Amino acid sequence: MMDASERAMLAAAVRDALGRADVADAALDEIGWREMLAAEPHDAIRIVFGALGAANAAASVLDDVVVWALGVQPRPDLTVLLPPFGTWNTPDSTGLVSARAAHATELLTASGVVPMTAVELEPVRGIDPDAGLHRARVTPRRGTPAGAVAWEAVVALGQRALGYQIAGATRTMVDLARAHALEREQFGRPIARFQAVRHRLAEALVAVEALDAALAVAGDVADPMAAALAKATAGRTARAVGSHCQQVLAGIGFTTEHPFHRYLKRTMLLDGLLGSADTLTAGLGDALLSTRAVPVLGNL
Amino acid sequence: MDVAQFRSELHEWLDAHHDDVAPRFAAPGTLDDRIAQMQRVKSVLFDAGWMRYGWPETVGGLGGSPLLRTELGAALAARDLVDPGLFSLIEVLVPTLIDFAPTALARVVVPRLLSGVELWCQGFSEPGTGSDLASLACRATPDGGDAASAAVWVVNGQKVWTSLAQYADRCVLLTRTGTPESRHRGITAFLVDMDAPGVTVAPIEMINGEREFAEVFFDDVAVPADRVLGEVNGGWAIAMSILPFERSSCFWQRIAHLYRRLEQLVAVAPRSERAAELVGEAYLRLHAARARSRATQHRLAAGAPLGAETSIDKVLIATAEQAVYEAVGRLLPEAVVLDDDAASEAWRSGYLYARAATIYGGTAEIQRNIVARRVLDLGDE
Repeated sequence: MMDASERAMLAAAVRDALGRADVADAALDEIGWREMLAAEPHDAIRIVFGALGAANAAASVLDDVVVWALGVQPRPDLTVLLPPFGTWNTPDSTGLVSARAAHATELLTASGVVPMTAVELEPVRGIDPDAGLHRARVTPRRGTPAGAVAWEAVVALGQRALGYQIAGATRTMVDLARAHALEREQFGRPIARFQAVRHRLAEALVAVEALDAALAVAGDVADPMAAALAKATAGRTARAVGSHCQQVLAGIGFTTEHPFHRYLKRTMLLDGLLGSADTLTAGLGDALLSTRAVPVLGNL
Repeated sequence: MDVAQFRSELHEWLDAHHDDVAPRFAAPGTLDDRIAQMQRVKSVLFDAGWMRYGWPETVGGLGGSPLLRTELGAALAARDLVDPGLFSLIEVLVPTLIDFAPTALARVVVPRLLSGVELWCQGFSEPGTGSDLASLACRATPDGGDAASAAVWVVNGQKVWTSLAQYADRCVLLTRTGTPESRHRGITAFLVDMDAPGVTVAPIEMINGEREFAEVFFDDVAVPADRVLGEVNGGWAIAMSILPFERSSCFWQRIAHLYRRLEQLVAVAPRSERAAELVGEAYLRLHAARARSRATQHRLAAGAPLGAETSIDKVLIATAEQAVYEAVGRLLPEAVVLDDDAASEAWRSGYLYARAATIYGGTAEIQRNIVARRVLDLGDE
């Protein structure tokens, strides 16, 4: 494990790299992201995905996390088949593929590696074209088995990574809205002095803090349910923060002149990867009702 | 003893001594039943030592991390052996005695509270004093006029929302000893005997029909000067010192209680898409509150001071409690609205009680004001 100062140095290096480069993947390659993932997966994922979210940078490093979790050596020309939007079950023939599809030579699925020539790709523009996502269909073919790793553990790690990314994004949204509220004046005073505005910002911060706490438990507890809870909390936090901060940012937040819209759109996309707040919440509820038990996760 | 070892030995012991601690009435029972049950559990657990962990030896404790007593409260709540709202009052009373009472007084009275011989209440709120605690008016004056030499103080005034006042043997009471304008600088705390002449208790019926709290009137109540807690005019420090306990172990116990309620709900609620959404929502909220509280307690155990940021914990736990009972109200509507069997009474009582989750201990709005002012640093309104 890294100590606090090593983590802070790494976080600064990642922020700096993302700030300098146009292409986030290239920047992360340069600072040795895949080596960090192998050596210190927990810290590497938390720091890199948090920074990606905060900077609203588009990168395909979720591929590396899923590939690594499946027990395969990550590499820049290997992409991965993610489950369809809003779902988290093992994808068989259809799903989503990251921007890495553009230059990858092979695609890893839960059942093995297939060449990209066997993958039908349809680029997704959607609400967030910068993310470079694709819908994909894999021509059924026998691939090399990826190993006996349980898919739910793979999903759990991916959910945590996405959770950190949403945490970074939503905290930045709160910072943007807070700065606006302190600067924007109406009736002769900053709107931050109006209680209605303050309460929205407070509510947004509460949601972000809840997400941080849920992510910390998911990092400490091996149970995949903790990661599902964290990812569901992330999606819910994104929705709450998106709506409160939009309202506080008011007119300027409705334009593309202000960066808020990029964060809103990106978090809406991230919510749908590996299970959304809606689908995961209903799934968790159904698990409780069918087992008649309520797991208590994370001890003192 | 480390926390994990304590937890596992405690649960083993509770399994083995189930009959000694289990309620002898069907839930919910009357408040009288539940108070008697709590005192019995405290007595049994004090004798067995469990009630003494996490408290210093100077007050009859066995020492160890405060997290041990937090685990105890949570275990009792999770097993429905005590009502955490009543049991966790210890957490806001005993630390005050340890930190502010004369040593001789604390050594005598604290073990009586821990062992269930006595029950105490906390007299803070007043009819004109809710979240604005520094405005309190219940007055204490030194008999003879000189605070330094008085042997007795005389208390006049009123408190309200005083939980369990009608059962209480003593009260940690905040009084005004400075000028009315002195605000937080002119407050003094006392440990007052509730059987002192001039103390009158008038229970208030809550929305669920129970009488958990009361109005307390003080008419020329004489309190010995050796019952002053802390410094004269230094009572604000006492009020503030309670926050870390209220926001850590008390919350943890309440959360354990809510997990138990959700477990009871999924045991009886029919499986459906709508049920899955409501139960999932409650579970998510409860998990978030617990995750946050866990982080807060780890910070506290590491020596960090707790402050305004715990308003976030308060918002999360209130939201969680209401989400659990929102699911109850919508999945068991007849139990909550129509039925009169004991189980339905319990659901109804809990449902109605949960409506106060965003009110007591500082309303949701006050918590958001605190987060805005002191955590987000948005400046004055």
